[in-house]
Amino acid sequence: MAKRSLAMQLDEVVQAMLVSLRPRPEPAPDRDLASLTRVAQALRELPREEFRAALKSDLQRRTPMSEGTAASAGTGEAQARAVHYQRPGLTSITPYIIVRPAAQFMEFLKSAFDGIERMSMPTPSGSIMHAEVAIGNGAIEVSDGNEQYPTAPAAIHLYVDDPDATYARALRAGATSFYAPTDEHPSGDRWGAVKDPFGNHWYIAKPRGWTPGPEGLRSVQPYLHLREAHKMIPFLEASFGAEALGVHKSPEGAVLHGTMRIGNATLEIDEAHGEFQPMPCHLHVYVSDTDAVYAQALRAGASSIETPQDKPYGDRSAGVKDAWGNSWFIATYLGTK
Amino acid sequence: MGNDRDSVRACPNTARQGVTFFAVGSYIVRATMPTRRSARKGLLPKSSPPQKAGPTSQDGEGVPRDAGRDPDEQLLVETAQSDPANFDALYELHFERVYAFVASRVRNRATAEDVTSEVFHKALANLPSYEWRGVPFAAWLLRIAANAIVDHAKRAAREFPSPDDPPEMAVNLDLQASELRAIEYRAQLFQLVGQLPEVQKQVVRERFVEQRSIREIAQRLGKTEGAIKQLQLRAVQNLRARMEGGHG
Repeated sequence: MAKRSLAMQLDEVVQAMLVSLRPRPEPAPDRDLASLTRVAQALRELPREEFRAALKSDLQRRTPMSEGTAASAGTGEAQARAVHYQRPGLTSITPYIIVRPAAQFMEFLKSAFDGIERMSMPTPSGSIMHAEVAIGNGAIEVSDGNEQYPTAPAAIHLYVDDPDATYARALRAGATSFYAPTDEHPSGDRWGAVKDPFGNHWYIAKPRGWTPGPEGLRSVQPYLHLREAHKMIPFLEASFGAEALGVHKSPEGAVLHGTMRIGNATLEIDEAHGEFQPMPCHLHVYVSDTDAVYAQALRAGASSIETPQDKPYGDRSAGVKDAWGNSWFIATYLGTK
Repeated sequence: MGNDRDSVRACPNTARQGVTFFAVGSYIVRATMPTRRSARKGLLPKSSPPQKAGPTSQDGEGVPRDAGRDPDEQLLVETAQSDPANFDALYELHFERVYAFVASRVRNRATAEDVTSEVFHKALANLPSYEWRGVPFAAWLLRIAANAIVDHAKRAAREFPSPDDPPEMAVNLDLQASELRAIEYRAQLFQLVGQLPEVQKQVVRERFVEQRSIREIAQRLGKTEGAIKQLQLRAVQNLRARMEGGHG
C-alpha cells in the first residue's frame, strides 16, 4: 500500500481524535506526525473566539457597575454573582420562535441555515415543549407553544458569510423570496430576504468588511417592525437598561433603522412598512435581576404575563407583553450560584 | 539539581525572540505576548494556598519566595485597581492561560466557558483585595480558577447526583510543574492561532472548535476536501514551527 500523504495522515488522526476513537495504525507513519498530533490534541480545547470577545465586552460593561454597586453590594462576591446570569450557550437576547409544527421548523433551520440542534424537550403528546437550535454564533429557541404562549413567527436578521448560497439553500428548503441578495440595500450590506413556510422572515446579510465570527456581531438578531417604532427605544431603555447604538430617522422622525443593545446582544427595529408589517413575537432576555426588570417593564407600560418565579430548569423567570404585542421572557440563570 | 532555589533561569532551548521562558523553581513561566514588553510573570505559590495550588517539590527544586515580582505586570494590576476600566489589559494577557487550565479540568466546552467567565468576573470584583506580596497575578487567577472548578463540581454533584458518573475532574488540585507546563503550552498555542493566515485560522476553528467534517468545511469555504486537508496540515505545521522554532 502506498504511503499516504501527511495531510491525509494528520486528518485521520484529527478525525479519530474528534470522535474519541483510536486512529488506525499507519503502515508507514510520517516521522512528523507525532509532533503534529501533539499540536492537534491541544487544539481540541481551543477557546471559541466569540466567547473570548463576549466575555471581554461583558467585563467591560461590568466595570462601571462594579464601582457603582460596590457600596450597596458590600462584597465582590455579590457582584460576581450578579454578573453571572446567562444560561451557557445563550446571549442576552434570543428569539423564541413558536410555530407549528416546531419539529418541521427545526428541520428547516438545519437544512437552510446549518442549524445545530442543541436540545429538544418533547411533551408527553410528542410536540416540542422547548428546543434550542444554534445558528452560527447565535441561537434560536423553538416551541410548539401553548395557550399562554401562542404561535408567533418572527423576523430575524441572519448574518452569514455567503448570503447568496444561504439564500439559495433557504429557497431549496421551502422558503419563498422577498428579494434575492443585492448590493443595493440601503445598509450597504449584501442583503436578501425570504419568508419561510412557517411565516418567519429571514433577512440574510453579509456585513461590509465581514470576517466570520467578528467580535460583537451575532449571527442571529431579532428584527422588530413596529408602528411608532421610536417609542420602543425609551421602553427598552427603561425596562432593560438597553442602549441605542445607532438610530437613523427620516426627516419626519420615523425610525428607518435602529440597533438596540441589551447586555451582550442586540436587536434591530424599524418603522413597519410595505411587506414588512408588525409581527409580534417572543423574545428571551437574560438579565441579572429578573424581578427588577419585570417591575421596570411594568412601570414602562408593559403588562404582566407571568410574575417572577423560580423555574424547575434553573432560571428565575417572568413574562411581560409590551404595547406592540411582543412577549418578553425575562430570565436570570440560577444554575451556577 | 544544584542549589538554584532562589534563582530565575532562562531555559536555553526555549528562549526565543520576544517569547521568553523562565523556570522559576519548579514552575515554568513564560511571557505569552511576544509583541508586548517581556513581561516576566512567575506562577508562584503562596506559602499556604487554600487549594494547595502549589508545587510539591518532588522534582527536587525549591520554591522561590519572591522571584516572580514583575514591575510591568504590577503596574498593569495597579492601573486596573485604580480604574477597573483598565482590567482589559490583564484579561488580554491571561485569558488563554485561565481557559487552558479550566478546560483541562472540566468535561465540556460549555462548562469551561462558564467557569472561565466566573473566574474573570470574580477577579474583577476582587481586584481591590489583590496584593502583590510575591504572588504573581497569574497564580492568583489560577487559584481563583481552582476554587471555581471545585465549586462547579460540587454544584453539579448537588444538582445532578449520579453516583455512577465519573467525577467531573480529579479532586486533587495540586498544580504540578508538568501541568503548569501544559497550561502554558496551550495558552501560547491558543494565542498563536490568532496570528495564522486568515484561511488557516478559519479551518482550525471550523475543525477543532466547531468540530465540522472536512466535507462541511469544504462546502462552507468553497474549496475541495483535499485543499482543506492541506490547509489543516499547513496550519498545524505553522503552529508547531512557532511553538518549537519560535518563528514561522
